[in-house]
This record gives sequence, C-alpha cells and structure tokens, in this order.
Amino acid sequence: MTDGNGPTTERARPRRLALWRTTTFRLTAIFVLIFVLFAVSLLGYIAYQSSILIQRQQLVDIERELGQLNREYQLGGTRALVLAIQRFARGPGPGIYFVADPSGVGIAGNVIDVPISVLEEPGQHTFAYERDRPSFGDEDPNRPEARGMALVRSFVLPSGYRVVVGRDIVERRSFAVIIFQAFFWGVIGIIVFSVIAGAISARRVLRRIDAIGATSRMIMTGDLGQRVPVTRRNDEFDGLATSLNAMLDRIEQLMQGMKDVTDNVAHDLKTPLTRMRNKVEAALRDDRDEDAAKRALESTIEECDHLIKTFNALLMIARVEAGTPASAFEQTDLSAVANDVGELYAPVLEDAGLDLKVEVPESLSLRANRELLGQALVNLLENAIKYVPRPDKGHSTVTIAAREAGENVILEVADQGPGIPEADRERVLERFVRLEKSRTEAGSGLGLSLVAAVAQLHKGRVEIDDNHPGAILRLILPRQTGETAA
Amino acid sequence: MKILIIEDDRDAASYLMTALDEAGHVTHHAGDGDTGYAMASSMDYDVLIVDRMLPRRDGLSIIESLRAENNKTPVLILSALGEVDDRVEGLRSGGDDYLTKPYAFSELLARIEVLARRSAPAEAATSYQVGDLSLDRLSRKVTRAEEDIQLQPREFRLLEYLMKHAGQVVTRTMLLENVWDYHFDPQTNVIDVHMSRLRSKIDRGQDNPLLHTIRGAGYMIRD
Repeated sequence: MTDGNGPTTERARPRRLALWRTTTFRLTAIFVLIFVLFAVSLLGYIAYQSSILIQRQQLVDIERELGQLNREYQLGGTRALVLAIQRFARGPGPGIYFVADPSGVGIAGNVIDVPISVLEEPGQHTFAYERDRPSFGDEDPNRPEARGMALVRSFVLPSGYRVVVGRDIVERRSFAVIIFQAFFWGVIGIIVFSVIAGAISARRVLRRIDAIGATSRMIMTGDLGQRVPVTRRNDEFDGLATSLNAMLDRIEQLMQGMKDVTDNVAHDLKTPLTRMRNKVEAALRDDRDEDAAKRALESTIEECDHLIKTFNALLMIARVEAGTPASAFEQTDLSAVANDVGELYAPVLEDAGLDLKVEVPESLSLRANRELLGQALVNLLENAIKYVPRPDKGHSTVTIAAREAGENVILEVADQGPGIPEADRERVLERFVRLEKSRTEAGSGLGLSLVAAVAQLHKGRVEIDDNHPGAILRLILPRQTGETAA
Repeated sequence: MKILIIEDDRDAASYLMTALDEAGHVTHHAGDGDTGYAMASSMDYDVLIVDRMLPRRDGLSIIESLRAENNKTPVLILSALGEVDDRVEGLRSGGDDYLTKPYAFSELLARIEVLARRSAPAEAATSYQVGDLSLDRLSRKVTRAEEDIQLQPREFRLLEYLMKHAGQVVTRTMLLENVWDYHFDPQTNVIDVHMSRLRSKIDRGQDNPLLHTIRGAGYMIRD
C-alpha cells in the first residue's frame, strides 16, 4: 500500500471493464451503424437514379438510330436498310442490330438470334443475346463481350421486314457495380476507422474510470489517504475527480475527527469512571461506617452528573457537526442573545471578580439557531471565568461585543486574562484539549469545541486574537446562513 | 396523584414507579405504545409520562391521538434525544414538557408536580401572594409586609415564576427554561447566583424566610 500508486498497480490489477462494454464504444458502434445504413440507402438511391438516367439516354440513342434506319429505308428500300444495319453492326460500341425477313430469318446484324416474340411484337423488350462474330463483320478484339442482356426496340416495316435496334445493358449494370464498390469500400473504411477511433477513445475513458475505480478500491481496503488522479486537461473527468477528492477530504477529516473523539472519550471518560468505581468499591469494603458510604454514594452521583454533562456536550457537538436541519434556523436577534446571556452571567462573573461589558447595537439580526448561539456564548463566558484569574487589584473586564462586518456578523468575547499563546490557538478548538497549565481546572475541554462546531454549522468560523493583554474569541458568522443552509 | 408511565424499559419503569410511590403518587405502567394509548384514553390520570421511542406505537403519535380526542391530561415526554429540534417536535405534538434521559429523579418529580397543577385553572391570576409577600403582575409591584421591593425585570420574572408555583419544587433547569428561555445546562452555578440576589432582596432582615433551597432538587417559595 505504501508504493500503491502509479502504473505499477494499474497493471497488476485485473481489468474490470471490457472495452466493448464501455459506453463510449457502444455509442461509437451505434453511430457507425446509423452511418452505414444512411450510406447504403444513399448508394441505392444514386444507383437507381443513374440507372434510370442511362436507360433513358440509351432509349434516346435507340430512337435516333431507328430514325436513321427509317430514313435509309424510305430512300433506298430494304436493301439500303440492310446495308445500313451492316454498317452499324460493324462499328464499335454497344449497339445491337438485327434485321429479319418476313419469315423471321435473320439477314443482317451483330447477334445470332433474336427471340421470335421480340420480332412478332413491335415495341420495347429486354432479352439475353449472343453476338454473332463469324458471319458478320471482322474480328475486333475491342468488341464487347459475346453474351449479354439487351434492351431493344423492334418494329415491322411495311414490307414485312422486322428491324431490331438496341443497346447492351450489362455495361450499364457494371457502372452501378463500380459505384457500389466505391461506396462499399468507403463504408468499410469508415467502419474500420470508427471502430478504431471508438476503441481508442473508449480506452482513454476506460483508463480514467479505472483510475477512479482503483482509488476507490484502495480506499475501501482502508487507505483513506488515496486520491483520484487529476490531469491538467481540465475536462469533465477532472471535474468529477476534483469533487470526489473534495468529498474524500471531508470524509477523511470526519473519520479523523471520529477517531480523535473515540481516543479522547476513552481517556477522558474512563478516568472519572475508574475514580467512581474505586470510590464505590472502597465504600463497599468499609461496611461499618454508614455515613461514609452515604457520602461515597453522593459523590458518585455527582461524578455521574459530571459524566452525563460531558456526554451531552459530546453528543451535542457531534449533532451540531453533523448539521442540524435548517428548520431549527430562525431569524435571530444577536443583540438580544448577547444581552440575555450577558444578564444571565453578569452575577457569576461579578462573583469571579470580573466586570462584564456588553457592547452591542440596538438589534443585529441574522438567520441562526438561537439556542446554539446562546450556548456558544455561554461557553465563551465560562471559558473566560475558568481561565481569567481573579484580579488582585483594579479591574478585569470581560466584554461581549457584536457588530456587523460586511457580509458577516461578529460576536466576540474579550477578556484581560493570560491570553492564548499563538501556537495553541488552533488546538484549543479541538475536543478535550485543555492547555497544560489549566489541566488541573475542572471542565471537560469541550466548551470551545462546541463553539467551533456552532460556527461551522452556521457556515462561519472561530478566530482567536490577542487582546493585549488577554484573549479575544471571535465568532464570525455569515449573515445569510439560513438561506444557504436551507 | 394518579400517574401513567408509558415506558418499555422495565428497569427504568420500575425505578420510576417505586420512586413516585415513595413520593406519595399512584402509578400505573404500560410497556408498549398500544397498551399505553388504550390505558391513557380509557382512564383518568393526572399526568402521563411518555417515552418517545416505544414498541408498536411511538410516544408522539399517542400524544397526538389523545389531543385529537380532546384529552387534555398533561404529558411529560421522556427522551434520549435532547436536541432543540426534538424538543420542539415533542412539544408541537401536544406534549407539555420534555425531559432528556438520563435525568435526576428530583427534576422529573418537580416537573410532573408543576404539570399536574398547571391543569388547574389558576393560570390567569393577576397577583400572587405567599405569606406577607405579594406580587402584582399588572402594576409589576412587589411588596413584603407593606414595603416596596425594587426588582430588576429579570428578577421580577424569576419571582413571578416561583410564586406561580408556590409550594412546589422548581429546579434550576426549569428556571432557565421558563425565565430565560434557554434549554441548556449551565455548567456553573449561574441560577444560584441569581437566586441568592433575589433572596437578599426579599428575605433580608426577615424572621421568616420564604425562599427555600431544596437540597439536590432546586428551590421553593412557601410560607
């Protein structure tokens, strides 16, 4: 666990997520599929349209040649027609020509035979044909293939001769095949490219997620110090990692707090319990003196009460730190709280030889939990009573002050006692911390912890300052606490 | 007084019953919410002591049902939950007072005695009289043996509360709650200091002190 970060552990750990199961990869796959479907339908449409276009062009060509043949026939009769057909048939190109006598026997052309149905019925036909090389025309190596499909028009001359003119359509089809092939390879290329791109980006995402998973597993095994790595890309994963880390910080802080509390509870509650047990045991052993037994019992109850108070204080801090529901927040007049608590404590302070001054404005309102603010102020005052020695001569004043400071409201208690050394100022807010010289004093060491917890609940903080001489304990609370907490 | 204790913890209940018997009260006990509700709604009690967390039916719902039936028997809620919210919730459901466990028996006794008395219609008195001490709530005048006593506003409220419950034990916590409206336990002898000041104003130089400290419990004003 000590060297448990970086790529070493990442490789050592089995991969939990398969590449193809990642969201990124699936999304890529879906997009590729949609794209392919789109491309295929586009291809089909283009092929269909171009095929129609070519057919139309072929029909126009056929019509034109028919017109030519017709003119030859008008001018020179059957003989001129047959000669013209022979001339056409010898020429290069995809043309198909055929002329038959009235009985249907072929007399000229470049195909071996034409089905009788084509000859009988004038009009447009499609049929399979075979080129006739040996009988008509020369050997031409560039001639189109010997077999194919033909699109033809046939008609019957007044003399009973039948003329068939057409075009080979295999060529037209091969054009469609070329288009299709181009699309096919294009689509294959896109699929391959997208799968690779999808896999790469899925892998990158996977690596980030695996890093988070690895961190969480390490945390689950008990290493709370682990944090999710944050890159410099500042992307959504870094955003997520940052919030996760903030959450982990908070959890670790709470766990540490819990651990400290447990340790301190163990120490600070065991001591009085042991003392109590010893006392009761001693009283039990000494069964002759009833008065002593009664005294022991009474002091046991006192110890019990003290323990209960400590417990209550602990529970209260825990509850406050966990955050009480905002329903307990109400519009509170801090000046009234300061005046009330001041008035409550003035006699006690006076008995301790301290003067109390309350310096607050007419009213100072904020959304807060009045009870907890009161309790915090009481704790601050009791802190002053405990640690400020009775002055030998002259006056020692404790001042409660409240005022506004921009967005914040400040409540402070200033005394003229020994003050708190700068090095200890953080520490005194922790639970059960009592500064060495005051260890002998009564008290649980929880008073200021509660003040800190109350400040935290109100989204504020506690500041400790020097009063030259003495200490100033200052609660700084944002005015709008209630709204943000709600 | 006739008291019903609705509490599922047998030890706690029997301790309470014994202690209340010794204090001269008649106690009944219900060990779960349903039984407790049945007993509370079918019999007449002076005070109900209701634990918040009970098997079968929780304490607050018992109180709510009783109040819905116009049953006005005073209720003291006992709870291990002591936070401000819980207290407010408890009182909102119709409870009259709220005590957090663990509690001192003297505190509980003082509270139920005050509760039982509260149901009597002495609430609206405009003046109180204890021996030769009298307090007028309207003119805010306090006199002892015809002599005016000057009191601070808070001292007046303190005395007013004590005199309203004359002859009854009033605990420090009750005073803090009712006179200062705070619900925490002060760590030092805050209330005692206030009481000694009040005592010095009303009992100084008198042969017959009215303000008594009840050891281990609180204070009482009586002739």
